[in-house]
Amino acid sequence: MTVKGDEPIVGEKLATSLMVNGNLYNVDVDSRTSLLDFLRETLGLTGTKKGCDHGQCGACTIHINGQRTLSCLTFVAMHDGDEITTIEGLATGDELHPVQAAFLEHDGYQCGYCTPGQLMSAAAMLDEPWGPDDADVAEAMSGNICRCGAYQRIVAAIQAVRQAKAIS
Amino acid sequence: MSVGTPIDRIEGRLKVTGAADYTSDRILDGMLYGIPVGSTIAAGRVVRVDAKDALAVPGVVAVYDHTNFETLHSHGRSSLKDGIVDEHRAPLSDDDVQYYGQYVALVIAHTLESAQEGAALVRVTYAPSAVRNAPITPDEGERKLGSHRGDPDAAFAASAIKVDQTYRTPVETHNPIELHATVAAWEGERVTLFETSQAIVNHQRVLTEMLGAKSDNVRVLTHYLGSGFGGKLWPWPQSPLAAAAARKLGQPVKIVITREQMFMNVGHRPKTAQRVRISAGTDGRLTSLQHDSTNHTNMLDDYDEDCAEATTYFYSVPNLRVTSGVAKRNVGSPTSMRGPGAVPGLFATESALDELAIALNMDPLALRLRNVPQRDEGLDIPFTSCHVAECYELGAQKFGWDQRTAAVGSMHRDGMILGWGMAGCSWIADRLDCEVRVELSPGSARVFCAVQDIGTGTYTMLAQIASDALGLPVRDVTISIGDSSLPPGPMSGGSMATASVIPPTIAACKDALHKRERAAAQETVVGYGRSNGTFGGEPKKSSHSFGAHFIEVTWQPEIARLRVRRVVSVIDGGKIINPKTARNQIEGAIVFGVGMALFEETRYDPRTAAPLNRNFADYVVASNADHPAMDVTFLDYPDYDLNPLGARGVGEIGLAGVAAAITSAVHHATGVRVRDLPVTIEDLIGR
Amino acid sequence: MTRAASLDDALRAAASSQYCAGGTTLIDLMRQDVMRPERVVAINRLPLTSIDTTADGGLRIGALATNSDVAHHERVRADYRVLSEAILSGATTQIRNMATTGGNLLQRTRCIYFRDPHSACNKREPGSGCPAIAGYNRNLAVLGTSEHCIASNPSDQNVALMALGAAIDVRSVAVTRTIPIDQFYRLPGETPEIETVLEPGELIVGVTLPPMRGWRSHYLKLRDRQSYEFALASAAVAVRLDGSTLADVRIALGGVGTIPWRTPAAEAALRGATVSRDAFRAAAEIALRDARPQSENGFKIELAKRCLTQALIEVTA
Repeated sequence: MTVKGDEPIVGEKLATSLMVNGNLYNVDVDSRTSLLDFLRETLGLTGTKKGCDHGQCGACTIHINGQRTLSCLTFVAMHDGDEITTIEGLATGDELHPVQAAFLEHDGYQCGYCTPGQLMSAAAMLDEPWGPDDADVAEAMSGNICRCGAYQRIVAAIQAVRQAKAIS
Repeated sequence: MSVGTPIDRIEGRLKVTGAADYTSDRILDGMLYGIPVGSTIAAGRVVRVDAKDALAVPGVVAVYDHTNFETLHSHGRSSLKDGIVDEHRAPLSDDDVQYYGQYVALVIAHTLESAQEGAALVRVTYAPSAVRNAPITPDEGERKLGSHRGDPDAAFAASAIKVDQTYRTPVETHNPIELHATVAAWEGERVTLFETSQAIVNHQRVLTEMLGAKSDNVRVLTHYLGSGFGGKLWPWPQSPLAAAAARKLGQPVKIVITREQMFMNVGHRPKTAQRVRISAGTDGRLTSLQHDSTNHTNMLDDYDEDCAEATTYFYSVPNLRVTSGVAKRNVGSPTSMRGPGAVPGLFATESALDELAIALNMDPLALRLRNVPQRDEGLDIPFTSCHVAECYELGAQKFGWDQRTAAVGSMHRDGMILGWGMAGCSWIADRLDCEVRVELSPGSARVFCAVQDIGTGTYTMLAQIASDALGLPVRDVTISIGDSSLPPGPMSGGSMATASVIPPTIAACKDALHKRERAAAQETVVGYGRSNGTFGGEPKKSSHSFGAHFIEVTWQPEIARLRVRRVVSVIDGGKIINPKTARNQIEGAIVFGVGMALFEETRYDPRTAAPLNRNFADYVVASNADHPAMDVTFLDYPDYDLNPLGARGVGEIGLAGVAAAITSAVHHATGVRVRDLPVTIEDLIGR
Repeated sequence: MTRAASLDDALRAAASSQYCAGGTTLIDLMRQDVMRPERVVAINRLPLTSIDTTADGGLRIGALATNSDVAHHERVRADYRVLSEAILSGATTQIRNMATTGGNLLQRTRCIYFRDPHSACNKREPGSGCPAIAGYNRNLAVLGTSEHCIASNPSDQNVALMALGAAIDVRSVAVTRTIPIDQFYRLPGETPEIETVLEPGELIVGVTLPPMRGWRSHYLKLRDRQSYEFALASAAVAVRLDGSTLADVRIALGGVGTIPWRTPAAEAALRGATVSRDAFRAAAEIALRDARPQSENGFKIELAKRCLTQALIEVTA
């Protein structure tokens, strides 16, 4: 990112207060810093991955106030007062979230790099209005590219969780 | 018994909690961020790099170009033993520019934002020269004669039934989700390189030479890799850039390249133009086969895709000739991409067979069965084993192939036109050199090897193999891989890693057990195993995997929508160590094949030779909604010629043949024969 | 960056600044070095998110209502279904959760030359030329082009809003005004760098939809892969049926125009017509009558005809 004219610019610092995985952070952040780079490089929460930095792959998916969003396409300074959940905050202590356990059982990954984004999307979509079929789940998850192609298993894992939820 | 059972990946918990450490996750004290600046011309010279404004950005520490960087030693692409690199020219070594996006400067800063700011302010002046960018033809370039037998020209001329067509595959870009990255940290003369590498032993060899270092002082680590599909086999220029910058500045340097740079600076599958001439008697027995292919390569390196790699043995045909050539263009260096050679090559030959079947008025399945090879006719040696006929027959049965009516557009379901197509496939099955160390303690063991897991399940397979060999539960076996300081292991390429690690792992376990008999009760003993590879040797038997794909597409002409709906694949891939991870590999490869057939093409500007669609929106890969219903079966016949467990690799066989099966189905649905991938809407409804 | 706490804050900070709401266009283009604002005014906290029924039974959507909230709103699903379908066919859930109605109205073209700061582009740098015309133009426009620019408008939401006859509420420090959507977008002509009639400093604060009781509406989007991709051709259709006669009809096309493309001539041909595939196809021919193919996108003309025909069949089924 450049600025108009040829003068170099100092990164302006803005006081920002936000919750990440239940922890409160009061920080002065560079106004140009994306939420993704803040999580990874400043907080050291490297579970959220950078795949493209342009909102085209979904690897950086996190939750902001319970909704799944892309952390690469937003400035951290714009989230003063928000609650962020990353993959590191999905499990409850040692107890995995049902989608995490389902991915283990159904082998919903290969290299694992897109997996945090897949899981944050999967966890969120359980509470979104989607139809019951595999095709509905596939559509719901199409914002997370998996180049290894584990799609059939990702859908199977999520459907297993939905069926278990419906029964219980 | 663990081998053969579908256990969960042993590193799975790390992956689903975001705890697995990938290269770009590394944050070190005092670490600086590096951003390479790419050229905006494809051919010419760098006249001047003006770094004044970049250096004035607060936080920017240095800007390097060819006038002020370290001397790095170029490394020729030689051999597995000496080290392989596809782009052998060292970055920033001179003012020469040979492809669009070639690194011409490197900005180093304290923060990522400052580095990005600085990189955008570097101004480069060029003296451009003429760009070599023309389309390629199948007979271009100095022709290399490959395998040949009989008199194919005469046989082709004499046959009444023949096909003579040219098939083309475009540039495809690997695009794993993980961006290539390097984190380099020196301590005195010793450097630790955290890399995104599918071949850490090779990487260590190459970087040692490029840096002019001593081998003992260079260590390469890749604990977890966000896949690579061949693109992360050999070192790319960000690696020596990061290492040399870190040495110069005395601080660790991290370079994570951008998605745009993934299209320019880390290799791609070159475009191919392949002419296939095939002929048969009226009984469907092949009488001749000729395969002449060309791929583009860059100006400084000679990358040969070897499209006819499977052609020489996959068909029983008495008269055959293959030739190849490379066409130099101003483009980045091509490199291996999932199934190099046979994947684009089988697209051509299997498509030609599909066209031949129509010329013969014969079922394409019957044509395959009529010409199943009984031995490797190219090398004139027997196969270790070949169950391809069973792949065809079982696949057809599972798919319901006997319900197929051959007439174009004759099949329907739910108001959509169906297309049913099929193709055969094959891939090499070989071993590479490998050494393994096993430390055996009472009730637990640790396995050490400088191999890497690229998503293929190597961690888990090693644990299963050692578990069986030692008689220990899998949970008591720890796997240490991904570190070049460990006993040298194979690259994760060519689908050879699994077969390579099996003999030395079993041998090391046996050695450890043997030593334990003579050791004190609580002592930890160490066993060693070593085995030589078969790859590149002179085999007595021909070792390959085989398979068949049966594919259904739906075609809705009212909205010009073509979709791959259903795939049945049967794979003769040796003994399957872990059916869960192996099935995932085949499914993933089929999805990759959907992308190859329907969506993927890196387009270059004819004037500037810049890759135009260098991002994840305009280079289209399969999304979740594009995946078909996939039914994968393994015949599971062990191939004991390859190793004591009879296992082969299955990372690439699943991709081979898929594109041809799809275009076969597309023709069946639409009557359109697509010979230039990808299949596009305009192919089907007109331009 | 200014983080605006109130609407007045935002409007006052507007000089030589760029508003940032969801950020899905702005940050993408800033990272491409295509948009280079000196200052960004973050407006994501402004109270412009509500979706309310208007006095005449229409609907007012605040500019900061997210795409997801609009698409799932029960009144939108019931009375403006084309808008819900259009939004849900676009991007992904993650992006729809961030993208705002106002921001989406200003979504910019996907032309790769526009998005490459090293390339000539009349829209980004007036007078520098249009390499798309003789270059890569498969995804670009066949309607509304000029010899200076053929960039297509990629939005789905805006095609639906065009068909619905939305009105756009705009505020600046000095002015409050409402702009009908069919006057909002500018054809490229000789000034492709001017995309809308917005004056510098003006902020979109809401979108008003007229009452549409008795209408059925629908969106059909065609593209290469099944999801997460911009349209090659799309059609937003709304009809009021009287038995099997089309009492009224509204059509807008996406993916094929330099702006969301209303098709009044096709609408006129269908008004009073009996529902039939042939009538729909004939209207589609009229709708694309003035289409001009570029070197690589001629297929879009036929594709758009099939898309519109099928959309009309589906909405009247």
